[in-house]
Amino acid sequence: MHRRRFLTTTAMSALSLAAGRMALAQDATAPDLARFPRDKTVIIQNPEGVIRNPGWFNIWVSGGGGQSTGLQQLVMDTLWYIDPDAGITGATENGIYNSLAAGPWQYNEDFTQMTVALREGLLWSDGKPFTSADVAFTVDLQVRTPGMIWSSTFANQVESIETPDEKTVVFRLKRPNSRFHTLFSVRWNACWIMPKHIFETVADPLTFDFNPPVGLGAYTLNSFDPNGTWFIWDKRPDWDKTALGLVGEPAPQHAIYRNNISIDNRLIEMRNGTLDMIHDLTPEGAFAIVQQDPTTQGWFPGFPYAHPDPTLIHVIFNHQSGSAMFGDKRIRWALALMLDARSMSMASYRGAATLSAIAVPPTGTHPRDYHGPLQDYLAAYEVDTGTRKVQVYDPDVGVQIADMVRQQFGDAVPTDPTALRNAFGYGWWRQDIAAAEELLTAAGCTKDGRQWMLPDGQPFRFSLMVPPDGVVNRLGTVIAQSWSQNGIEVTPEAAPDIRERLTAGDYVASVRWAVETFGGHPDLSFFLDSYHSAYVAQPGQPQAPRNLMRFSSPAQDAIIENIRKTDFNDPRSLELGHEFVKYYVDEMPIIPIMAFNVFSVQSNRYWTNWPNAEQPYANPVTNWGNSRYILTQIRAAG
Amino acid sequence: MTSYFWFVAKRAVLLVAVIFFGVSATFFITHLSPISPVETALGRIANQSSFSPDAIEDMRRVLTDLYGTDRPLLQQYVTFWQKLAAGDLGPSLIAFPTPAMTLVMQALPWTVALLVVSTLITFLAGNLLGALAGYFQNNMALKAFGVVAVVLQPIPYYVVAFVLLILFGFVWPVLPISGGYAMDVAPGWTLDFMWSVALHAILPAVSLVLVGFGTWFLGMRALVSNVVTEDYVTYAELAGVKRSTIMGGYVIRNAMIPQVTGLAMNIGTVFSGTIITEQVFNYPGLGSLLIDAVFGGDYALVLAVSTISITAVGIAIFIVDLLYPLIDPRVKAE
Repeated sequence: MHRRRFLTTTAMSALSLAAGRMALAQDATAPDLARFPRDKTVIIQNPEGVIRNPGWFNIWVSGGGGQSTGLQQLVMDTLWYIDPDAGITGATENGIYNSLAAGPWQYNEDFTQMTVALREGLLWSDGKPFTSADVAFTVDLQVRTPGMIWSSTFANQVESIETPDEKTVVFRLKRPNSRFHTLFSVRWNACWIMPKHIFETVADPLTFDFNPPVGLGAYTLNSFDPNGTWFIWDKRPDWDKTALGLVGEPAPQHAIYRNNISIDNRLIEMRNGTLDMIHDLTPEGAFAIVQQDPTTQGWFPGFPYAHPDPTLIHVIFNHQSGSAMFGDKRIRWALALMLDARSMSMASYRGAATLSAIAVPPTGTHPRDYHGPLQDYLAAYEVDTGTRKVQVYDPDVGVQIADMVRQQFGDAVPTDPTALRNAFGYGWWRQDIAAAEELLTAAGCTKDGRQWMLPDGQPFRFSLMVPPDGVVNRLGTVIAQSWSQNGIEVTPEAAPDIRERLTAGDYVASVRWAVETFGGHPDLSFFLDSYHSAYVAQPGQPQAPRNLMRFSSPAQDAIIENIRKTDFNDPRSLELGHEFVKYYVDEMPIIPIMAFNVFSVQSNRYWTNWPNAEQPYANPVTNWGNSRYILTQIRAAG
Repeated sequence: MTSYFWFVAKRAVLLVAVIFFGVSATFFITHLSPISPVETALGRIANQSSFSPDAIEDMRRVLTDLYGTDRPLLQQYVTFWQKLAAGDLGPSLIAFPTPAMTLVMQALPWTVALLVVSTLITFLAGNLLGALAGYFQNNMALKAFGVVAVVLQPIPYYVVAFVLLILFGFVWPVLPISGGYAMDVAPGWTLDFMWSVALHAILPAVSLVLVGFGTWFLGMRALVSNVVTEDYVTYAELAGVKRSTIMGGYVIRNAMIPQVTGLAMNIGTVFSGTIITEQVFNYPGLGSLLIDAVFGGDYALVLAVSTISITAVGIAIFIVDLLYPLIDPRVKAE
């Protein structure tokens, strides 16, 4: 009895203690779901995991709140948007939307001053008018507050800001910068304009949660999950007083963004009608859902379904630690010619890859500006192997891959040549082992049995760092196999810390991306400006994005410096882009492979008129800032 | 009774030592990890827009200073224990400046509830049915349970979880497959909320129960099969003692002792199992928090989760240890 009482007392005490400690998340009111009928509510997957600090909406401070919870898409706004695709016809010019700005940026002659005319009649969501003071305050506060996201950027560049009137802002810069406007031009995001009347009353902007957020977008916060898995936004009654409203009325009355949904669950939820937009799936998942559910769609009406992001996957050679192996461009070219585009496409994306032989992703308007016009140049391009000149470009590799996947996907695979090029790419380098071996020999390499030896007599052997999983992991593995089969001993190394090691330069070769573009505009400065030799870190020091390969040369610097002197919209900018592409073909400092294809899927069960390859008015990827324009184009399915 | 207090004191010292060494090991492992919170934060920020390399270098300096990651390791270690003694585990780096302990306390109830409920169900059902199957060896229904247990026991946990997900989320979509509770229910001690939590916990809990059931069932059945052959059981039967008394008072009670030991040893394993459960069912507990923290290089959060976990598992084992001499009078506290 004594023991029994002791046991009972102990158990009861433990349970009471546990119940007392089980503090639930902070107080919250639950939304009444009856208020969100499906013909008025769009449900969107946000690829972020659990938002650990869901009540944090201060997007100018990295405080653990979500970004693509709808906050940056529906509430925030800034001066311009540059669409990763073509943009909405009539609302964009050259892929550019004037958002809070009434027109394009105006620079003075030497690019030390940028003047912006702002739109009139726009209101913050709390009814206060939007003025030039908000823009000036956004920059000024961040300059004064180290630790805010854009603080260093503005402190380095902005000398002063003037607001001659309520609708004009003049930025005076510390040094010439013809691309200063890109800081306020949304690609994925940009510097969002903050409400001066809110932030000027805040004692410490670094600890201010900005809950509820006040924005210039067409939606306001309804409610959010205190455990950080969903956010609900309501259309503003005065949506026509927003820049988005000037493009069109957003159709959904409500938008629900749901995050932390695993890939399998996304498929199931869309099939069950509880998701309208999926950010991305695995290739296999996307093939399964579009084949099994006729209401769903991908970017292309048939195979390969995926949307090519303006990001290029490529082989990255470390030009510092790997200079002994990759210092000679003939060796880099030899490595490129050992690869088989078909096997890379099949291994990574099960054939759904969009190939690019040049250092620009085959996405948005780039095929129109780069891949198409450069076809003749590429077809005629010859590599001097030391013993002969070889034409190495295969314009039909996309057709060959289409034929391979047609056995499985039948009529879903396009046959029209234009559709084939858009879907599978404009061609790639032809696998030519003989030419590759001649190039290696010309570079001083020798062969010992099956093994290639470097000019210094050491075995040609290295590890290829790849992500721990996903399509790029599969791509890297097949690349390593191809090189190993041809006498260069390459071991794929799956590295969970690939990002840190790329930054630190702690690798010899890798497969990843260092080329990201605007997509809907031909200017390449988004990534190329950071390639300048002035920014290449010393060995052992961390390298700033995006020149992860640490490659520099006077010729590359000259192209970058010429772009800096050229206006963003000047046709000469495109010519310089071509110059860069040709230089990278000659030098092959990276081996361009394919676009980063994202398997975004939409359901037409409740909402229709989603963007796709036939009407590419927006990037369908849900977390990009520009995805807000989709809401002005979709319609309830009725 | 004095001897029992000495027994408790010795175990308490052991508990403190386990927590100290466990937390210290976690501290050094996380701080020697190649994943840098500064670089992770920079990657998150810098890859999104067109920051110049100069600005990124400035950001790196500011973040390093803010996170304090440039201080010597030993200094960080001493500071860590000083702060921990005051109950402060510092700010989370992936949700800066939110205190790491705040995030842990938000996630903890979900994991504790899932763990306690599923462990209790598994332990009680597995042992009870296992005992019955060992005692009534010719009962067909109990034999069938044996077959189920043998089939389920070796299946990897994640396979069971995915099968349940597909069966009850897709083929016959009757149960929620994501999250801890429905969107239209406000968290609080209300019946609506409790019901929603219970509904959302069914699949994660059942997946844990199914896998754990076989181990307890088979172990208990084997133990009881041995106990029933003991002389004292035969004697009790010959003496005409009621079967329920023999079963409860003599057989199960004796067979339970190694099972209680097993429970203590199993708590840590079950805890790590919930990490996978939470991933599969998007359950908002400590497991998914830990994974986010590891991939974000968030030392403070990893340490907070680990400290709480090590302490909780250590205390659970400590309690079982203390109960042992009380459950089995033959075990002397000395």
